[in-house]
Amino acid sequence: MKTRIVFAVLAAVVLCAGQPALAHHPFAAEYDVNKPVTLTGTLDRMEWVNPHGWIYMDVEQPDGTVKRWTIEAAGPGQMNRRGLKRADTVDGMSLVIKGYQHRRDPAQANGRTLVLSDGRNFYIGAVGGPNDGADR
Amino acid sequence: MLSIVPALEWLEALAWTTAIRESAWGYPIIETAHVASIVAFAGLVIMMDLRLVGLAFTHAPLMQIQRGLFPWQMAALVPSTATGVLLCVADPLRYYGNVFFRVKLVLLALAGVNALVFHLMAYRTDGRWDEHPQVVAGAWRAGAVSLVLWSAIIVSGRLIAFSWFF
Repeated sequence: MKTRIVFAVLAAVVLCAGQPALAHHPFAAEYDVNKPVTLTGTLDRMEWVNPHGWIYMDVEQPDGTVKRWTIEAAGPGQMNRRGLKRADTVDGMSLVIKGYQHRRDPAQANGRTLVLSDGRNFYIGAVGGPNDGADR
Repeated sequence: MLSIVPALEWLEALAWTTAIRESAWGYPIIETAHVASIVAFAGLVIMMDLRLVGLAFTHAPLMQIQRGLFPWQMAALVPSTATGVLLCVADPLRYYGNVFFRVKLVLLALAGVNALVFHLMAYRTDGRWDEHPQVVAGAWRAGAVSLVLWSAIIVSGRLIAFSWFF
């Protein structure tokens, strides 16, 4: 009996190990993989909050107007482990974010990579997402 | 009209609620504990409900199952409620604006009333459960309602993560 329980636990561990970390909500429920965006602009502010962070950035449009984008990022714990610290994001800094646009909100996107003004880049994906290499 | 929003804004701005919201480890630990204690609580409630609707433990007197499970149900209810409150106060405005959170609160209230009515009825009519047809019908209803409500509560809780309907 005991061995059987041990085997069951081991099997569960092995099966879970192959899975990506459980996402807060699936990517496809909110974001459109067919609408990749590259946003170049300035950081209005970043919210380092759970379950995932939010980046607000201003992007100049071709017609000269400024569009405020809301970018979903990973939570504080994940960002820290990927090397991005709170002090790295300074309001007003210039940055480039690649991601995928929201299905309903044209000013929202799921962030995949963040390039800071000093050239360092980070994977900021939070909720699974397409296998586009952003997490490598 | 008197609004709850200023109170929620005050709650959100507190140092300790901000600390949970912005934490690297605190929030994931609370969230995990919330899910784990809900699993324990719901499992214990479902055991009782299955007895009430006559699908499990039918060989045992109803009150025997009730007396055995109740302390464990309460032991799981305390951490699941406490962690749930902590998650709410960490981001009160987001939850306030979330339709699934509101649905979950209403369902929780209904489940609470159902459990309370059953509890009072059960202990008042103790001993007559297993032969009295009217009481048995009431127990069946309480169990069926509880099964439906707790399933819906778990589903609506999970759906809070999705920003549908904003």
